[in-house]
Amino acid sequence: MRLLVVEDDAILRRQVVAGLRAAGYVVDAAADGVDAHHLGDSSPYDAVVLDLGLPQIDGLTVLRKWRAAARDMPVLILTARDGWHEKVAGIDAGADDYLSKPFHMEELLARLRALIRRAGGHASAELACGPLTLDTRQGRVAIDGRVLTLTSHEYRVLAYLMHHRDEVVSRSDLVEHIYAQDFDRDSNTVEVFIARLRKKLPPGLIETVRGLGYRLSAPR
Amino acid sequence: MRRGAWRGSLRIRLLAGTMFWIVASVVVAGWGLGGLFRQHLAEQFQAELKTHLDQLTAHLTIDEQGWPALSVPLSDPRLERPYSGLYWQIDDLASGGAAGTPGPRRSRSRSLWDHVLAAPVDAPADGEVHRHRLDGPAGTRLEVIERRVKVDERPETAAREFRLIVAADERLMIDPATRFDSALWLALGLLAGGLVIAALVQVRVGLAPLRELRAALGHLRSGRTPRLEGDFPAEIAPLVDDFNSVLAHNAEVVERARTQAGNLAHALKTPLAILGNAAAGRDDELARLVATQVDAARRQVHYHLARAQAAAAGRLAGARTALGPVLEGLLRAMRRIHAGRDLELVLHPISPDLVFRGEEQDLQEMLGNLLDNACKWTAGRVEIEARLESGGLTIAIDDDGQGIAAGQRDAVLRRGVRADQQVPGSGLGLSIVGDLAQVYGGGLRLADSPLGGLRALLSLPAADGTTRDLPGT
Repeated sequence: MRLLVVEDDAILRRQVVAGLRAAGYVVDAAADGVDAHHLGDSSPYDAVVLDLGLPQIDGLTVLRKWRAAARDMPVLILTARDGWHEKVAGIDAGADDYLSKPFHMEELLARLRALIRRAGGHASAELACGPLTLDTRQGRVAIDGRVLTLTSHEYRVLAYLMHHRDEVVSRSDLVEHIYAQDFDRDSNTVEVFIARLRKKLPPGLIETVRGLGYRLSAPR
Repeated sequence: MRRGAWRGSLRIRLLAGTMFWIVASVVVAGWGLGGLFRQHLAEQFQAELKTHLDQLTAHLTIDEQGWPALSVPLSDPRLERPYSGLYWQIDDLASGGAAGTPGPRRSRSRSLWDHVLAAPVDAPADGEVHRHRLDGPAGTRLEVIERRVKVDERPETAAREFRLIVAADERLMIDPATRFDSALWLALGLLAGGLVIAALVQVRVGLAPLRELRAALGHLRSGRTPRLEGDFPAEIAPLVDDFNSVLAHNAEVVERARTQAGNLAHALKTPLAILGNAAAGRDDELARLVATQVDAARRQVHYHLARAQAAAAGRLAGARTALGPVLEGLLRAMRRIHAGRDLELVLHPISPDLVFRGEEQDLQEMLGNLLDNACKWTAGRVEIEARLESGGLTIAIDDDGQGIAAGQRDAVLRRGVRADQQVPGSGLGLSIVGDLAQVYGGGLRLADSPLGGLRALLSLPAADGTTRDLPGT
């Protein structure tokens, strides 16, 4: 799961980024509206945390531009201005949720999990695929109730596939969503992670669709 | 009281001056014209008497018996009609013996009938005309002129002296004057009446812009217009412009105060967020202290920001906000924010006639807090209904949650009333809504909902004219 954090205050930005990374997300950060717009426009994010009072271009304008360009990732507005006037304006500009500062990191994480889940069309905090379950609140994967130990990269790949279960996910898609912007990417590593996951999971859960990518689905 | 009315009313001031001049000029004109006419009549009357006397003199003869007579009857027919009011009489002075006393030889006009004019005895010079006032027949008063004439008919006899008298009833002079007077006063009365009506109309038309101004102020107070609208004459227009600029300035001050409060809150909240996050990662004494203090500071900022909002509320005259769009906007936000909970938010149709007399931000704040509260506590269904009730808006927000026990409702609403004694905390939203509503002269009541949970009843002032003259309805 790859997130974008847009916040002009450097310390708060670092804190949020650190908190999200600790929760297992891949995180990019932007400090102003121009950067934010560019990143959100060019990379596929699973969710965006957006401050409204930004230098150069304000947050609402950035959000409207994304929505006008059909960028439909979930956006959570994180702002000090918490009047309903501002909330309605933010939601009408295309935001999916609204969190006022100061906030608790746990609250932000919970809201983001809910947003990402809803974007994938999942109602519950627990995703399931056959014997496989993913508790998004705790970042825990289990098979028939037995908790599975995964590295952070393995978890990201599996979580992305679980959120898009029964869909074909291309290798480049996976790369985009498990690595941050500035990371030195290598698409071959995806195959390594898939191979390791296949060893830990019951056979047949992850199938390779030749030339297209991978698909996670419950065995029939 | 009378003095008060005089000072207090432009209309009375204007009318009093005009009325005084109308009455004064009509009285003076009536008096002057009447006097002139009377004088003219008197002169004409005297001239007529003189003419008759001259004719009498010219036609005087003495008949065979030595009686004075007229060679030709005088032409005026009134002299033939008994008691007609115009008379003549000729006295033969010499025949009476002593000089100057009238003797039995006298001739009279037919009109005198059996009356004899008893002119006082005096001795005007020959040819001189004397005037008298005498009692006439049938109780009339007569205006009389006389002249003495000596006739030397034959040189051998002594000259005879006659007194020629012409008399006329003074009513012949007074009656036309009286008729003229009544006609004159009637005409002047009509003139004065017309002038008074004209003055009333003038004052009414002249002061009409003031009435318009009052109507415009009424519209402003009732929230139908944000400023004084209308074309005003050059004398009032500067006043109206000044007033409008004061209104604009007011609005600006309120907006600035609000912006500054918002800026302050924004400036405080980011550092608070940083402090809170920094403390959250650790588990020691300091971290716990920071966490609790950050929480307290967050609540204080929230509380005082809301208070500032309430203090600035309702200061703008002429603000009006349609209820429907605000509720729809808030429901869009609620559906999105509570998207994960599959809530059923039911907005009963809101008539476009429902317009709140106040600012949009305040309305959003009140309804937003109530809706958010309902969405937080509901088991799944929230219903919103609004209607016009006894001149005000009543908005009912129902949920099917657990509700609030009747005994605790007051406490929930009172929280935050005394900032220095109460610690603002959860449930603050409802008390802020109550405070804001009170600023606008409305209120918030909590009751049992037919859905099973809490019903929040928000009453707010409706903008005037909400049931009429709305454009596009």
